[in-house]
Amino acid sequence: MKKRALLLAFSFLLLFVFTGGYQVWATMAKENYDWYCTQCHGLKGTGDGPNSRPSKYDIKQPDMSVTPRNHRSAEDMNKLSDEDMRLAIKDGGKAVSKSALMPPFGKTLTDKEIEDLVKYLRKLCNCKGK
Amino acid sequence: MSSEGARKLIVFCIALGVSIGITATTGFAGPKEGKAIFEKQNCGKCHQTQGPAKEKTFEDQMKKKGPELWYAGDKFRKEWLEEWLANPTIIRHLKYNSITEKSKGGHPSLSNAQAKDVAAYLLTLKSGAVKEGVVKEKSSPRAKLNFKKKYGCIGCHTIKKGKKKKIGGVTGPDLSEAGKRLKGDWVYMYLKKPKLFKPIKRMPVFAGIINDAEMKALAGFVASQGRKKK
Repeated sequence: MKKRALLLAFSFLLLFVFTGGYQVWATMAKENYDWYCTQCHGLKGTGDGPNSRPSKYDIKQPDMSVTPRNHRSAEDMNKLSDEDMRLAIKDGGKAVSKSALMPPFGKTLTDKEIEDLVKYLRKLCNCKGK
Repeated sequence: MSSEGARKLIVFCIALGVSIGITATTGFAGPKEGKAIFEKQNCGKCHQTQGPAKEKTFEDQMKKKGPELWYAGDKFRKEWLEEWLANPTIIRHLKYNSITEKSKGGHPSLSNAQAKDVAAYLLTLKSGAVKEGVVKEKSSPRAKLNFKKKYGCIGCHTIKKGKKKKIGGVTGPDLSEAGKRLKGDWVYMYLKKPKLFKPIKRMPVFAGIINDAEMKALAGFVASQGRKKK
C-alpha cells in the first residue's frame, strides 16, 4: 500500500516536471513568436501580418511582394524540414533560397530560443515536416 | 564717465536691445525654458529623458507609452524637430508598441515658440555614444539594393517609390522622409549598438551580420530619404 502511494506520488512529480518544462519552453516560444514573427506572419500565423497586408489594417500601402508563409498550413510547412526552419530563422530567408524579406534572427535569438521556435511552429502547423 | 566707458555702455545697450529684439521676434528662450515646458506639459509621462535604457523584457517595453528621448540630440534634426513639435505628423503607421492598431496621430502640439524651446532642450539630450561626421548622408545604388533586397529592411519600413508612391512594411517607423528627421550618424550607431538605445525591440539585431562599411552606407541611405539631392 505504502509502495503504491509512493509510486503515485512519483508519477505526479514526473508529470509535473514534464508538463511544467513543456509549458516554459512553449510559453517563451510563443512570446518570441508574438513579438517578432507576427509582424509579417500574422497574429494567428496565417501569413497576413501588418507588413504583409497593410490594407487589412486600413493602411494604404501595397501588400508585401512575397506572401509570408502560412504557419498553420500543414501542406506548406511539410515542405520544410526542421533544419530548413532553423536556418531560415537564424540566417534569414536567403539561407534557404527564399526571400530576404525574412530577416536573420541569429543575433537576436539564442540557439535554444530558435530551437524552441521550430518546435512551436510544428505545433502551429500540426505537422512533422519532411 | 570716461569716453571709453561711455562707448562700452552704448555697445552693451545696443547688444542687449538686439538680443531682446530677437527674443521678442522669435519668442525663443532656449533649452532651460524648453525643459520647463516639457515638464509642465507632462511629456515625461510618455517619454523617457534619462538614460541609459533599462528595459529587459517585452513587458518592460510594453509599459512604455512613447519613444524614449534621452538621446534625442543624437537622433533628430533641429529643423524637423521644431516643425514636428508644432505640427505633429504620423511617423509610425501603427500605434506605438502595437502591431494590430492603426496609428491615429493626435500627439499634443505646441506653439511655434514653445516648439523651438522644447526642441532646443531635447537636442541637448545625448547618449555620448554617437560620433558626428562618420556617415555620408547620401543614397547609393548598393545601399538601396541592400535595404530592399539583401537585408530586407523594406519588409518593415516604408520608403518612397518615385515621387509619391510608398512601398514597404508598416511595423517599423516610416522612413520615406527619414532624411528630414534622422541624423545618419545616429542611424549608424543604432544599427551598430542597438541594445544601447533600445534593448527590447521588434527589429532584429543586425550588428555582426551587416559589415561596417555596408552599415554606414545603409545609414547614409536612410538619412537621405526625402531630402533633396546635394
